[in-house]
Amino acid sequence: MGVKVDIRKCYHEAESSGKRETRKAFLLDVSFEIENELVVLFGPSGSGKTTLFKCISGITEPDGGKITVDGKVYYNKDKKINLPIQKRNLGYVFQSYTLFPHMNVRKNIECGLKSWEKESREERVMEMLSLLHIEELETRYPSQLSGGQKQRVAMARALAPGPELLLLDEPFSALDKEIRTELTEKIKNLQNKIGIPVLFITHNLEEAFLLADRILVLHGGKVQQFGTPDEIFYHPENRHVAELIGLSNIFDDAWVEGYDEASRSAVLKSGDLRIRVNPLNFKPGDKVSWGIHPENMTLLLPGSGSEDKDENTYSAYVSSIINKGPKKKITLKLARHNKVLAAELPAQFVDTLKLSTGDLCLVKMEMSKVVAF
Amino acid sequence: MSDQIWFPLFITLWIAAISSLLVLCSGVFIAYIFARRDFRGKELAELFVTLPLILPPTVIGYLLVILVGKNGFLGQLVYNVLGTGILFTWQAAVIAAYTVSLPLMVRTAQAAIEIVDKELEYAAYILGRTELETALLITLPLAKRGILAGLVLSFARAVGEFGATLMLAGNIPGKTNTMSISIYSAFQAGNNELANILVLVLIFISLLSIALTGKIASRGKFEV
Repeated sequence: MGVKVDIRKCYHEAESSGKRETRKAFLLDVSFEIENELVVLFGPSGSGKTTLFKCISGITEPDGGKITVDGKVYYNKDKKINLPIQKRNLGYVFQSYTLFPHMNVRKNIECGLKSWEKESREERVMEMLSLLHIEELETRYPSQLSGGQKQRVAMARALAPGPELLLLDEPFSALDKEIRTELTEKIKNLQNKIGIPVLFITHNLEEAFLLADRILVLHGGKVQQFGTPDEIFYHPENRHVAELIGLSNIFDDAWVEGYDEASRSAVLKSGDLRIRVNPLNFKPGDKVSWGIHPENMTLLLPGSGSEDKDENTYSAYVSSIINKGPKKKITLKLARHNKVLAAELPAQFVDTLKLSTGDLCLVKMEMSKVVAF
Repeated sequence: MSDQIWFPLFITLWIAAISSLLVLCSGVFIAYIFARRDFRGKELAELFVTLPLILPPTVIGYLLVILVGKNGFLGQLVYNVLGTGILFTWQAAVIAAYTVSLPLMVRTAQAAIEIVDKELEYAAYILGRTELETALLITLPLAKRGILAGLVLSFARAVGEFGATLMLAGNIPGKTNTMSISIYSAFQAGNNELANILVLVLIFISLLSIALTGKIASRGKFEV
């Protein structure tokens, strides 16, 4: 059955330019379908992620479109259906957890079980407490809980009524990195256990890739791409997506010089540089952009076999090395082409090469690692 | 002598208690509507409820006499139903006290409700709770301190009410002679001894109210 969303909604976002803060209007215009899977809504702040959640949950009314969850119509502009919040069977964990401060954990969870018999209600609370491994918190008040505990109680409360869909709005943003990682893994298991669609908002790249069955990339109110983490990572469809996933060496000056059916690869001409890529469906003459993740480059010392004539290998001068702890960021100026690349490689690897500023080296960009769109 | 003290004390507390009860029920409701709803003419309605706070008591008294007097809209209605007028009864004193103390409750409670996080209410709606249930279960309990403070203020204001009460309920011994009014008439009659005692009692009640408000305000706040 799944969840079908196809809505339009005007929303406002505060934008600060210098001293003044202005409110800018955006149009959220999205259409997607999800099944029993964990979908991460990924995008910068202001991209309309929370507005989308508010529309699905009924806190705000969209300007037009349809929302259907498990075959139940939540919203349909044409048929004038706008189900009240209370009638929509979904769980929502707010960024701030929104635990009721004057109720203990048990009362908080019971709040969503008003029509349940007393006995089954008590059973359900215990079931939720054990599902999230927080049995010992039953009688505590929210002010007596740590951030991670609050987060788990909020999850238990949202899941207690047995929702058809779970919305999680940056549930980990206020937590320490350690607890974050731990809870991220738990959520993944939880989704398998409860078997309902889960929509998860984050603007943390690592979290998105760790959790998602599929990632929905949102930017400026529009769906930029909707696909598996691998699709998003290796085949971003446009510059917005490429930048969001951390692709930093992006060049827009390329066109497809030739396409080789046999090796299913294309040769791009980017300025005076030729580079071979794994294209999706390019035709010769297409204008394209290409880029590579700073982590995906390989550095070689000159004379180590792969010379400039090898495919996707270029000689370059090291123009700077910045120490970033476990990694080092190296800025490279290509010797024969007017291009600057940034690589980020394990410190240990860079140290073995004994590279220093001004040295000549070889940059190798494996065809499968080069991203073109 | 003792009746000259005990009756005014009793009738004053009685009027203030009834008035405060009415103020609590209607004031919290009005405050919730003002805090959580948008409607046309809301600012006008807010102004109307707040007006008695700044109007001279005689003006309030005069307007109320017009409203509940024999020829007034409300007065006629009551006369037709009960066959008796309201003016110069303790009920009239309750109306006067209610009118002047309502804005104190509405203002204080409204401010307290407005700072309750709306997301908490949405969370309750999403858990299937109606607006009424959410107000009773979440919003009002979280605004409790503001509401209690408003109640104490309203009670104190009702205890001290003088001008409008005098015009509406008069000064009928054994019927409508509240503390404030008794002090005034004792002073006019030169009965300083009685005036002194009544003044001391009123000061005591006022101090008690302030202490109570302070206690409510200092009570531990919920951490969110």
